[in-house]
Amino acid sequence: LGAVSERPRRVHDQCDGRQLLDLFATATAWLAAHAAEVDALNVYPVPDGDTGSNMSQTMRSALAEAEARQDMDAGGIAASLAHGALMGARGNSGVILSQLLRGIARMFDGKRTFGPSDVAAALQEASATAYRAVAKPVEGTVLSVARVAAEHAMTAAHERQDFQHVLGTAVSAGRVALRETRNQLPVLKQAGVVDAGGQGYLLLLEGALRHVQGYRDVPLAGRPERLNAARAAASEHAQVAHHGGGLGYCTEFLLIGSGLSEHQLRGEIEALGDSLLVVGDSEVLRVHIHTEDPGRALSAATLLGRLQMVKVQDMQAQHEQFAHEVPSPPPATTAGDKLPIGCVAVSSGAGFEEVFANMGAVVVPGGQTINPSTQQILDAIESCCQSAVAVLPNNHNVIATAQQAATLSHKQVEVLPTKTMPEGVAAVLAIRFDEDTGQVLEEMRAAAAAVRTIEVTTAVREADLEGLHVRKGDILGILDGTLTVAGTDTASVITDLLDTIGVGDSHVLTLYAGEEVSNEDQSLMLTTISRRYPMVLVEGARGGQPHYQYIVSVE
Amino acid sequence: VNDGAIELDKKPGKIEVSPAAIATAASRVVVECYGVVGIADRKLKHGKAELVDDSAYARGIRVSIQDGSVVVDLYIVVEYGTRISEVANNVISAVRDTLQRMLGSASIRVLVNIQGLRISS
Repeated sequence: LGAVSERPRRVHDQCDGRQLLDLFATATAWLAAHAAEVDALNVYPVPDGDTGSNMSQTMRSALAEAEARQDMDAGGIAASLAHGALMGARGNSGVILSQLLRGIARMFDGKRTFGPSDVAAALQEASATAYRAVAKPVEGTVLSVARVAAEHAMTAAHERQDFQHVLGTAVSAGRVALRETRNQLPVLKQAGVVDAGGQGYLLLLEGALRHVQGYRDVPLAGRPERLNAARAAASEHAQVAHHGGGLGYCTEFLLIGSGLSEHQLRGEIEALGDSLLVVGDSEVLRVHIHTEDPGRALSAATLLGRLQMVKVQDMQAQHEQFAHEVPSPPPATTAGDKLPIGCVAVSSGAGFEEVFANMGAVVVPGGQTINPSTQQILDAIESCCQSAVAVLPNNHNVIATAQQAATLSHKQVEVLPTKTMPEGVAAVLAIRFDEDTGQVLEEMRAAAAAVRTIEVTTAVREADLEGLHVRKGDILGILDGTLTVAGTDTASVITDLLDTIGVGDSHVLTLYAGEEVSNEDQSLMLTTISRRYPMVLVEGARGGQPHYQYIVSVE
Repeated sequence: VNDGAIELDKKPGKIEVSPAAIATAASRVVVECYGVVGIADRKLKHGKAELVDDSAYARGIRVSIQDGSVVVDLYIVVEYGTRISEVANNVISAVRDTLQRMLGSASIRVLVNIQGLRISS
């Protein structure tokens, strides 16, 4: 599996704002393509999408604002990038990234074009600006990587006025600094990883270097299965949209057949558009292309095999929506107006979303992987027809955002700090109709507190945490948000935790299967649990949640 | 109840953690949070926020117990041009996580007060 690339021209001498924008688009695409790997560096060994996703989203917001500009002078583009990053900053890494961009913008201010030494100076100012915004800078983070990369870029710019030389030097120095973060922060050393934010920034620098080397690619580094993940597809989507020039149609399909060849198909349709991705094996190929003529691409493919899951989207419309950051309105609820108070539930996984929607809650997609924004939650609150609204964050990381949304609404909003989806389900089930709002909230709160939640996931790497030694691939058992058990067998991890809770005959157990668990596996698991706890009522449901094989609610 | 110390129920003995100790721990975390340029006096001077020295952080951190929760009031100055909501959220989770690790399962509430913004050149 290689990179889809073309090598038109190298970048020389002086560049304008258009080229600055393209450079950032390539850098962002490179970061986005590796976002999952950056996420995997999170110090807690649960695959929650923090740093990589947050930095990608922040960059996306930066690009959206810069793309909307009419004029193309470098200073203006840099200012828009910085402003977009500020407005869209997500998480700690996003805030730091927005400061780095602010420093870059400060250096580009008033410049119509720029040269290699301006790039070095911009990196220097980025680092200085980022350092200024914290009382006690912590070394061994993105700050150290930015500083070391900038220092070496400055030296390189004195040696030779050459974009490749300046950025190349910055990248290699940054790489050394990134490796060093492992020795600078004890928590990284213990977990055996480098700093995630530093890795994200290095990827942006690498992407910029690739741009001046002439690559205009959508990198495919890594495993094809990642393309199956809706998240990767979605973020890649957003990134490649910047490459198109003429936007056309984003066309995706699966090609089923025998003896298929990536190479052959690519040859057939390469000329029809850009941002072409062809991945897969001899029996199934996944294809993505931006083209003005989707019909021709599809016709060419039908000669080689059968088409499935064809999706053609108008990118002009997508792009406009993206550029204006129009938040998609939450689906109108029909059952929701029957509840005595409005209910907003943050939820991930098709099954859970359905459960909440059926009970009348307004669902905001999000959770462990991608945290919803304040605006999304606020919109959901406002879409409820009731004047009093309960918000169920259903994730530790979302509680603060939900509380912020609550303060922005004129409605009477109460955030119930539910940390897991089963807690949220219990809270909604507890809503009674003939009581006043205060009492309803009281009972929701009590119901959520009475639920115990077991979450089962796989460690993405080795670490020592909470007194446990975790190896990559271990099954992790999380009880009410705390990592409690690590093992190699899913069933024993679950039963260990059920024993810890002390499950007895008054309990009702619901086993929600994640998106990767088959129905057969789930039935087997249900049988195993029922055998071991014959007095307990055990039910199965499809949660459809990503990353967690099982979520078990014990009531 | 007693002199305001936080009690951790650990059999067979009892541990008390003073609010001052908790404030010290919180101060260390806060100043390392990105976007925070310092801890501020909770009283404004002539209507302006005043940063306090490292040793005087107690003037900008108040620790109390309300309804069984440890409540930490923080008064800080934030760098102008950062997304304040994100900075504040990061402070809240960093302080809460640290104190939770320190105190075990105690319930912790962190209230962040942005006393002022600093504009760097």
